Amino acid sequence: MGNYVLFSQLSLPSNLRAVKQESLPEESIMPDFNIDSILEGRRSQPHQLIEVLQDVQNTFGYLPQEAMETAARELGVPPIEVYRAAHFYKAFSLKPQGKYVVTVCMGTACHVRGCDLLVDQVLGELNIKPGETTEDGLFTLDRVNCLGCCALGPAVVINGTYYHHMTPGKLRSLIEFTRRTGEEKIAHA
Amino acid sequence: MQQFVTVTIDGAHVRAVKGTSVLDVAIEFGICIPHLCHVPYLSDLGACRLCIVEHVREGRSKITTSCTLLVQEGMVIRTNTEKIRKLRHNIAELLVAQAPNSRAIQDIAVLCGVKEVRYPFRNSDCVLCGRCVRVCAELWKAKAIGFVGRGKDRRVDFPFGVRPDFCKQCGSCVMLCPMTITPCEGPMKPGEEYLCGKCESQVLAAQTMPGACVWCELGKGFQCGRHA
Amino acid sequence: MPRLNHINDLEDLRMQLSAEHARFTKTLTFCGGTGCRASGSISVIDAVKEVLGRQGLDESVLVRVTGCHGFCEQGPIMVLEPDNIFYCHLTPDDAHDIVIKTVSNGEVIERLLYTDPVSGKKVGTEAEIPFYRAQDRQLLSQNPLIDPCSIESYIVLGGYGSLAKALTGMPPAAIIEEIKASGLRGRGGGGFPTGRKWADCWAAPGDEKYVICNADEGDPGAYMDRCLLEGNPHLVLEGMMIGALATGARQGYVYVRKEYPLAVEHARVAVQQAREVGLLGEHIFGSKFSFDIEIARGGGAFVCGESTALMASLEGKVGEPRPKDVHTVVDGLWHKPTTLNNVETWANVPSIIMNGASWFASKGTKNSKGTKILALTGRVRNTGLVEVAMGTPLRTVVFDIGGGADNGNAVKAVQTGGPSGGCLPVDKFDLLIDFEALAEAGSMVGSGGMVVMDEGTCMVDVAKYFLAFLQDESCGKCVPCRLGIDRMLEIITDITEGNGRPEQITLLEDLAETVRETSLCALGKSAPNPVLSTLRYFRDEYEAHINQKRCPAGVCKAMIEYAIDPEKCNGCGVCRRACPREAISGNKKQVHVIDPETCSKCGICQSECKFDAVVIN
Repeated sequence: MGNYVLFSQLSLPSNLRAVKQESLPEESIMPDFNIDSILEGRRSQPHQLIEVLQDVQNTFGYLPQEAMETAARELGVPPIEVYRAAHFYKAFSLKPQGKYVVTVCMGTACHVRGCDLLVDQVLGELNIKPGETTEDGLFTLDRVNCLGCCALGPAVVINGTYYHHMTPGKLRSLIEFTRRTGEEKIAHA
Repeated sequence: MQQFVTVTIDGAHVRAVKGTSVLDVAIEFGICIPHLCHVPYLSDLGACRLCIVEHVREGRSKITTSCTLLVQEGMVIRTNTEKIRKLRHNIAELLVAQAPNSRAIQDIAVLCGVKEVRYPFRNSDCVLCGRCVRVCAELWKAKAIGFVGRGKDRRVDFPFGVRPDFCKQCGSCVMLCPMTITPCEGPMKPGEEYLCGKCESQVLAAQTMPGACVWCELGKGFQCGRHA
Repeated sequence: MPRLNHINDLEDLRMQLSAEHARFTKTLTFCGGTGCRASGSISVIDAVKEVLGRQGLDESVLVRVTGCHGFCEQGPIMVLEPDNIFYCHLTPDDAHDIVIKTVSNGEVIERLLYTDPVSGKKVGTEAEIPFYRAQDRQLLSQNPLIDPCSIESYIVLGGYGSLAKALTGMPPAAIIEEIKASGLRGRGGGGFPTGRKWADCWAAPGDEKYVICNADEGDPGAYMDRCLLEGNPHLVLEGMMIGALATGARQGYVYVRKEYPLAVEHARVAVQQAREVGLLGEHIFGSKFSFDIEIARGGGAFVCGESTALMASLEGKVGEPRPKDVHTVVDGLWHKPTTLNNVETWANVPSIIMNGASWFASKGTKNSKGTKILALTGRVRNTGLVEVAMGTPLRTVVFDIGGGADNGNAVKAVQTGGPSGGCLPVDKFDLLIDFEALAEAGSMVGSGGMVVMDEGTCMVDVAKYFLAFLQDESCGKCVPCRLGIDRMLEIITDITEGNGRPEQITLLEDLAETVRETSLCALGKSAPNPVLSTLRYFRDEYEAHINQKRCPAGVCKAMIEYAIDPEKCNGCGVCRRACPREAISGNKKQVHVIDPETCSKCGICQSECKFDAVVIN
C-alpha cells in the first residue's frame, strides 16, 4: 500500500502530521547515470518513453542529459522527441532539485482559500520563486495544479508527505522544522 | 486508381481526388484560402487556424481547418462567409501583433483585412508555424530540430540545445520560414510599425471577387499550391 | 485465491467469502483516502489495531481501511458497523476510548461525534448526517464498504456479477442497447452519449480495438475520479471489461495522473489481483473473451485529459491534441478504433447492466440521466464529494447539502465545470444540474467541480486565475489558444491593475469568441468560458475596475491597501515578524503601522493576526 513515514508526535502540531505517499529516491546522487534496470523489458519500444522518463525522474530526482540520451538510443526514439517530452511534462525536471521539494497546490479551491500567500511566504523566507532551488541545495519550490485534496486546502506536499489547511505561519514552521531535523525514520510497508 | 468525389465549395461544384484536403482542392481551383503553416509537400498540422472554413452538414455549419479536412462525396464548404472573415481577421491580427517584423505575416494580415492592430506589438522572431520542423522531419528525415516546451514557452530548438552533427545545414528550414520570406525589403523598425500591405494592390483587386486567387506575391514566396 | 474458471465459480466464491465474514461481529471502517491520510488517519488506524490486539478483539472485529468517503474536511473518519456510529476528527489518542468504550461496551463518545454546522447539534449515526442524507450516493456509498486492496471485499458485495451477466446473456448489441437506453452521458466533461460512442466504435472497421479510462482528472477543484479509483478500483475495471466486451476490444488502459500516487497504486493492485483470479487475461470465466488492462501514469499535463492528447501520451509522445475531423472511435490509439471514457462513466456501467437501463433513466431530467458526483468546495460549510441525481437544483447542493457559506458572508456565485466552465450568480441557483441547462446559462456540468464563492471573491480575479491556469497548461500548438489566451490574460491583468480601458471589454468579447470558435481542441474552445460568464453576470465588477479603479471584493492588489486598525492592534508584533518585506514597524505593545511603499500586499499579516486588526481599504 505504499511506504509511509511516522512523524514524531511530540514536536509537530497535530494537523501537520501526515502520511507519505511515494518512496524517496533510492540513490539521490549517483556518479554515473546507469539506467539499465529501468530499460529492462522496454528496449526498442518507443511508446515506453514517458514511463521510462518517470522512473528516471523518480530515481535521480531529475533527468540527467546522459540518461535521456541513453533512453533515446535504447528505446529507438529520436533525441529531439526525448528532449521534447522532458520539457512538455511538468513531472520532469531538467535540473537537480533540492533535498526537499516543497510543492504548493494552486487549484481553484486552494486559490480561493489563499494558496498564493504560501508562495509569497516561501519567496520571502527562502528567496526562491517557483522552479528555483535555494543556494544551499536544501529546498526547491514547485507548484502543482491540483492535488485532489480540495476539501482540505490549502495543501502542500513535501517529498511525498501531504499537509493540509496550511497558512503562511504553519508553512514557515514546517520549513524550519524540516531544515532542523530532516525526515525521521522511514518504515517500509 | 484515383477515385473522384464531387464537393461544393462556395457554390461551385468541383471534382476532387478522394483523400485530398479541402484546402488543396480550393487552391487548385483558384479559390484563395489564406494559410500559413500549410506547405504543399508536407503534412498538415492545422496549427495556424487561418485556413478555417465552414463545413455545412445537416443544416449546421462547423468551423474547421480546411487543411486537415479531407474531401468526401457531397461535402458542402463555405470559405468566405462574414463569420469566417471576421475570425480570420482576428487570428491574423493576433499573428501580426506577435511578429510584426515579418513581411509575410504582415501581408497575410492585410489579405485578411487587418487595418489596425488592437494589441501592443511584441517582437517575436518565430510564429511557430512548424514549417521548418516538418521539412527537416519529413523531407530529410533528419529530425534535427523540433518543437520544445509548452504553451507560451514553446520554441523551436535542437536536441539538448546543440546543433547535432546529422544536421547538414541544408538550409531548407530557412528557405521555408515566413520570417525570412520577404516580398519587400527591410524589417520593421521599432516605433515604425505599420502594415506593409505589399499585397494590397492585389487585395484591392480581390475585393471585387472575394476569395479569388490573384496570384499574389505572398503566394509566390510561400510556395502556395498555385505557385508551387 | 482460486482462479475463476466458470461463471458459477464467482457465485460460489461470493458465498464462501460471505460465510467467512460472518465471524466478524463488528466492523470498524476507517477512511484511508488521500485526504484523510493527510489528516493522519494511518496513525489512528495503527493505534486502534494495537489496542484491539491487546484486548484480544482482532479476531472478532474487522478493521477495514477504505478509500475516500468524500467527507474529507471531517477526517480522520471512522464508522462502526452494524451500529452505524460515525466518529470524526480522530487522533491516535482516541484509540483507547474507541475500543474500550464503543467497540466493547457500545458506549457512544459524544466528543467524537459529528456536529452539524447548521443546527449545531451532535449527530449519532452516519445515516442521520444531513450532508449524506440529502444526497443520492449510488456510487459513493460503496466506498465505505470496500477495501480497495482486496478483490475479495468487492466480490463479497456482488462485484463482477454484472460482467458475468453480460458475458452469459448479452451479445455486444444488447449491451450497447442497454447503455443507450439508460441515457448515460460522459461524466468527464464532454457529456457525449456513451451508448452512441460504444456503438460507433463497435461499428468501426478493424480487429484491433482499445478501451481507455481517462483518470487524468486535471480540473483543479475536482477529485471525484481520485476518490473512485482509490476507493473502488474494481468497479471501474468491471465497467471497462463490459465496455471491451461490447466494442470488441482486447486491451485496455487506465491513464492516471501521476499527482494521484495512491490511485495509481490501488489501480495496479486491483489489476494484479484481477489477473490472479482470471478476471483479466485469456478466456475470462472460461469464455472466448480475453482482455487485459495496463496502468499508465500521466506526466503532469492538464491537456492530456483531452482524448487525442491522452492517446498521444500513451504512445510515448508529447500530449499535443490533433484535429478530430475523424473521431477517435474510428482513428484513436495507434490509429485504431478506441473507446475513451471517464472514470465515473465506467463506474456507472456495472449497475446499469445489473439493474437495467430504466432503473438508471428513472432519475434525472429528460436528457441528463442518473446521478453525478460533484466536488463541492470553496467558501461553503460542508465541503466534500456530493452525489446527487441529475436535475437537482444548484440551490439544493449549495445550501441544503453544503450548508451555505462558511464565514458569515453571503454566497455570491458558484463556479461549475472547472476551467472549462463558468460562474453562475445566486439568482441562477434555481437552475437544475443538467448538461444543457448549465451550458445554456454559460457554464457547464463539466467534470463536476463546484466552487462556492462569496462576496470576498473578485470575479475578475477568478477569470484571471483560470486564464493563467489555461495559459500554463496550453500545449501551444494552435494560434488562437496560445496567443489568444495570452492576450486575454494581458487585457484582464491590465484591468486588475487599474489600467483597464472601456474598449477593452469589447475587445475581450471579440477575442473570446474567436478563441472559442477556432481553437483546435476543447481546452482552447472552452477557455473563454470563465471570462464570458463573468462578463455576462458580473459586468458591474469589470466596470468598477475600469471606470472607478476599484475592486469591490477587495482582492486586486493594485486597488487595495493594507492598514492596521489602531483600535484593535495590541502591539503583539506577530505581523511584524511575519512580514516577508519587513514593511511593518512598531514597538512592543504599541500600535503597529504598515508602510504602504514597501508593502507587497501579500496578505500574510492579515492571515496571521489573531485580533482581526489588519484591514483592507
